[in-house]
Amino acid sequence: MNHLPFEEWLLNDMPVTPEQQRDLDLHLRTCAYCSALSETTRMLSTSKMAAPASGFTARFQMRLAEHKVAERRRKLWGAILFTLAGLILLMWAIGPYLASFIASPATWISTGVGWLIFLGTTLFALFDASIVIFSIVPKFLPPFVWLVLFSMFAGVGLLWSVSIWRFTQRGMPQGV
Amino acid sequence: MTEENAWVVRAQQGDDDAFTQLVETYQKPVYNLCYRMLGEPDTAEDAAQETFMRAYQNLHRYDSSRAFGTWILSIAAHYCIDRLRKKKFSVFSMDAEDEDGMPFEVADPASPDPEAESVKLEDRKRLNLLLKDLDPTDRAAVIMRYWYDYSEIEIAKSLNLTVSAVKSRLHRSRKALAGMWQAEKSRAHPERRSRESLAF
Repeated sequence: MNHLPFEEWLLNDMPVTPEQQRDLDLHLRTCAYCSALSETTRMLSTSKMAAPASGFTARFQMRLAEHKVAERRRKLWGAILFTLAGLILLMWAIGPYLASFIASPATWISTGVGWLIFLGTTLFALFDASIVIFSIVPKFLPPFVWLVLFSMFAGVGLLWSVSIWRFTQRGMPQGV
Repeated sequence: MTEENAWVVRAQQGDDDAFTQLVETYQKPVYNLCYRMLGEPDTAEDAAQETFMRAYQNLHRYDSSRAFGTWILSIAAHYCIDRLRKKKFSVFSMDAEDEDGMPFEVADPASPDPEAESVKLEDRKRLNLLLKDLDPTDRAAVIMRYWYDYSEIEIAKSLNLTVSAVKSRLHRSRKALAGMWQAEKSRAHPERRSRESLAF
């Protein structure tokens, strides 16, 4: 049987003229498929909303409270485990040094002082070198090069900030 | 700013009472969607509760340019689709609904024609049962279209589909439902078959 255009009218919920309605009614009397289509559409359109049993909100509040307690407990255990793991790793890493430090403190003290002196002198040398560079380089570089360099830094900074902003502002994907 | 938007803003700032107001407002639409999708009151209750929990946890990501109702129904639909895909329901006891939509419908004895009322009720119940045979996403599209009067654009946004995909899914589902309904009726009233024309 030819269902056109009746099937299309029904499927698209199209408004029909009185004349078209008459033709449709005639067709529905002889076509079981279009009749089923019409009936199911009518039933779907008139179906009611199902409501939850009373006290839904109270049950949600209880669930939320339980969730919060569980979350707090999870965070606490997480923090304890994280700290313990960190302490174990730290002990594993510094254990041998600690043992030898306890065994002969004089050696470690002299090594530590040596490192501090080395660090201090290196920093002073770097500071002196940078002063020399900054006093010489500007004489070789024209001002527009500085302009370009600063603009590049500013551009990269702006790009970075915008990327972070867009990433954090992006809406929640549908259906979490 | 509407009252609802004010609740959302307050809830986003950590006010649980404001979120409770949202739960109070949307419990019925969310529950109905879950019930129509999953078919069992207990499972639907659990899914609706989980939907609100997910909304609560992700409230900071809610885009206020969209209606809150659309957002939460979208969460419910996706949750139910995932749940249906993970677990095939062996029992689907859609018990239909009463005047308030409660899932234990009975024919109204005070109706002028209780028998016709009862037949209508049975028909609706059977149609609801047929919904279970649809693909979960198709089912969600049909529910959004007929229980929530969502446009194809709104359904597309809620289910992350294109408008043409929604149209095609709705047509396919409606045709499938009509076919199943026809077969169901033929089974229920075999004597009428000889008088009716063939569908295809």
